[in-house]
Amino acid sequence: MRRLVLPLALAALLALAGLVVVQLLQPAQSLTPVEQARQLAGELRCPDCQSLSVAESRTAAANAIRREIAELLAAGQAPAQVRQHFVDRYGEWILLAPTAPIAWWLPGAALLVGGLALAGWLLRGRRAASATTGEPSAGEALRRRVREELEELDA
Amino acid sequence: MRITWFRWLLVPLVVVPLGWLLFTGLGRDPRLIPSPLVGKPMPAFAGTTLEGDRFSSADLAGKPAIVNFWASYCIPSCVEEHPVLLDLAARYGALVRLVGVLVNDTPDGARGFLARYGQVSWPNLLNADGRITIDYGVTGPPETFFVDARGIVVARHVGPLTDAIVAEQLAALGITP
Repeated sequence: MRRLVLPLALAALLALAGLVVVQLLQPAQSLTPVEQARQLAGELRCPDCQSLSVAESRTAAANAIRREIAELLAAGQAPAQVRQHFVDRYGEWILLAPTAPIAWWLPGAALLVGGLALAGWLLRGRRAASATTGEPSAGEALRRRVREELEELDA
Repeated sequence: MRITWFRWLLVPLVVVPLGWLLFTGLGRDPRLIPSPLVGKPMPAFAGTTLEGDRFSSADLAGKPAIVNFWASYCIPSCVEEHPVLLDLAARYGALVRLVGVLVNDTPDGARGFLARYGQVSWPNLLNADGRITIDYGVTGPPETFFVDARGIVVARHVGPLTDAIVAEQLAALGITP
């Protein structure tokens, strides 16, 4: 059972990675203007809310931004231009997802470093364990002595 | 043996950057929210004032200007800064132009606020569609933008104005008492 854990975990990880790749390779669906506007609204922070996107809020500011998104798209602007329109006014703060690449690869790097450290630690523990299998441990020696003395008592 | 070596590496790798982040992060003034507008020309605007007149940002040209975003529901912050603005207009009215912009407010609400806390001499734009709010990246009233005589935004202040902040920003605009 224990031997299965590592292969199973690896298989699960590979399957997950495969799903991500498939997702990434899928061609971007062409969206209707309404869907496009809704997607953009979902990427922007509602300025007068706490941790809500413009799409999720019905405040005055969110309404005004939704209206502006629709107008800009209707005027023929690309989604990237619309996004930039708001970044120019509010700064990157308005985007819910960070654009700095480090924010995306730092968690992965941390996971990798942590995984390597854990693997190193586990391997060292295994090596240390195999190095000591030659001689019986203190507990075993003690148990043998108890057994022997009990046998002597019985005799 | 190897563990102790690694432990010493922890200090420069983890503790120092974390400490630096906390130290610089906690020392920052949350009121001084950076604005992408600082250093750029002020976004143009035009609209109707509380009195029903037309007003546009072109009317501000040639003199330093202060654009103050406020609302009658913004209590207590806007109430707190109201006397500061009245004092500013009385003392420096000849040197700097003031303009108020309502944030998601009704004309009646704004008139009620002014009747209660003091009538003002400067125009206040209704901004009914909220376009000026978006163009200035305003998150909530009160917010104030300081603009120099060339029309360049020099500073943004989030939260109620105080005499000290006004004096500091006016000095940066070259206006001293």
